[in-house]
Amino acid sequence: MFIDANAALGPWPFAPLTERTAPQLVAHLKTHGVNRALVSHLGAVFLPEPMPANRALFAAIRRTPALLPVPVINPALATWREHLSTCCAAAPIRAVKIIPAYHNYSLRHPALTPFVAAVNAAGLRLIVTTRLEDERHRYHALGIKGIPIAQVAAFLARFPATHFVCSGLYKPEIETLAATHQNFSADIAFAEWLNTLALLTQKIPARRLLLGTNSPLFDTHAQVDKLRLCRLPAKTLALIGSANATRLFGL
Amino acid sequence: MRIIDAHTHPVFMHDGATPAAARRLVAHGRAHGIVKMVALGDVLVHGRLPSAAQCRRINDETAQLKRWHPDYFIGFCCLNPTLGARAVEREVERCVTQHGFRGIKLEISNNARDACMGAVMAAARRWNLIVLQHTWSQTNIHQRRFHSDPADTAWLARRHPDVSVIMAHLTGCGYRGVLEAKGLPNLFVDTSGAFPEAEILDFAVQEFGAERILYGSDLPIRETSVTVGRVLGARLTAQQRRLILHGNAAKLFRL
Repeated sequence: MFIDANAALGPWPFAPLTERTAPQLVAHLKTHGVNRALVSHLGAVFLPEPMPANRALFAAIRRTPALLPVPVINPALATWREHLSTCCAAAPIRAVKIIPAYHNYSLRHPALTPFVAAVNAAGLRLIVTTRLEDERHRYHALGIKGIPIAQVAAFLARFPATHFVCSGLYKPEIETLAATHQNFSADIAFAEWLNTLALLTQKIPARRLLLGTNSPLFDTHAQVDKLRLCRLPAKTLALIGSANATRLFGL
Repeated sequence: MRIIDAHTHPVFMHDGATPAAARRLVAHGRAHGIVKMVALGDVLVHGRLPSAAQCRRINDETAQLKRWHPDYFIGFCCLNPTLGARAVEREVERCVTQHGFRGIKLEISNNARDACMGAVMAAARRWNLIVLQHTWSQTNIHQRRFHSDPADTAWLARRHPDVSVIMAHLTGCGYRGVLEAKGLPNLFVDTSGAFPEAEILDFAVQEFGAERILYGSDLPIRETSVTVGRVLGARLTAQQRRLILHGNAAKLFRL
């Protein structure tokens, strides 16, 4: 059974996607061999501040232990400390997520220094989302692009003692960053090439890769099959499929 | 599960042109249930405007794959329509008569509406070939001068109703592209290209039926398990799935 490090609830305004309740998401993931998932709320992407979406997330998954809440925090907002402590008090969380490109700040933002320190002090893992969709297909009036890899590299260099989980990196981006930075793991939602994982694991240890489906934006069946049918040793598959998530998020 | 992959690049940026690499690819395909692959050539290895000699080299590599695995690869002839009618006619005739190619592959040398496409479609008609046009929504790309939007490929199919046209890259065409493809019985859409964005295949089947959708991977740019998985993950009937993965291509390619 797998752990999905990158799933979401809530509406996506730019495509007619099925919006699942928490129990429906659990059932959907289970049909694809996923028995636990780290879940954020897509409402947090577009709201002026993410807390209403975080509250909706906590309420939605209160009775579904298979879904682990990952609230989104915007450190560029004056009240991020209050938001972080509210989230920590609301539910037993293991990670928080930032979505800089959608929240109009860069990974060079000065607030990230105290923010990373606070996340570390709370014993949480920080997930850095670099993109949510293929920029070529975004809504025409939305000019948001993925975070440039140089900015991600500078961010990793700025906090060498913290191990981050990066979400949304393309395969070449993971490979490039892995050559110079050891303080990150990456989900494989946006990594794709023929024999993706066989190639990726030549450039980054399997213990730093995580299954991530980017569901509901991407097809869950297809994303799970990327791992399930990859023909890597069972031990490698187990690392990427669940053991790394268990270790990184203290599950 | 038997699958025909209507969109592959077995040789990509020079990789894959050896007998061993071809054997590995065929084994990989068979392991995923793929019984035949349409080989479209190393279409961007010389940039978007290959010369006549470069087109010949690309097509010779495809022919070589066919010779190594005659029951597996279906060859499509890579063209640069801007080279003119004589170059187009000569290369199509060579690929059909010498190599048994079954279709024409068009990349981004020109837009599908350009006048130079007249010779391409005439050659397709003369040799009974299928035309596969690379297509991507130009809403965010802004290259329409040489890069075909779904509206352009639909226009091409509408203008040449007696030629079967494949609009490549369902996800790249997007929801608007699906709507452009409606009501054109000679226009097919392949599922290749881009990440497995959820439910767009369901939308395409709902809008114009499963009968004009072909499975395509775009390998090696895409992972086979993912491209097949997106068809298996869509809300389709078993019959619709069979048509998309195999039946429609078998009928179109007369297999």
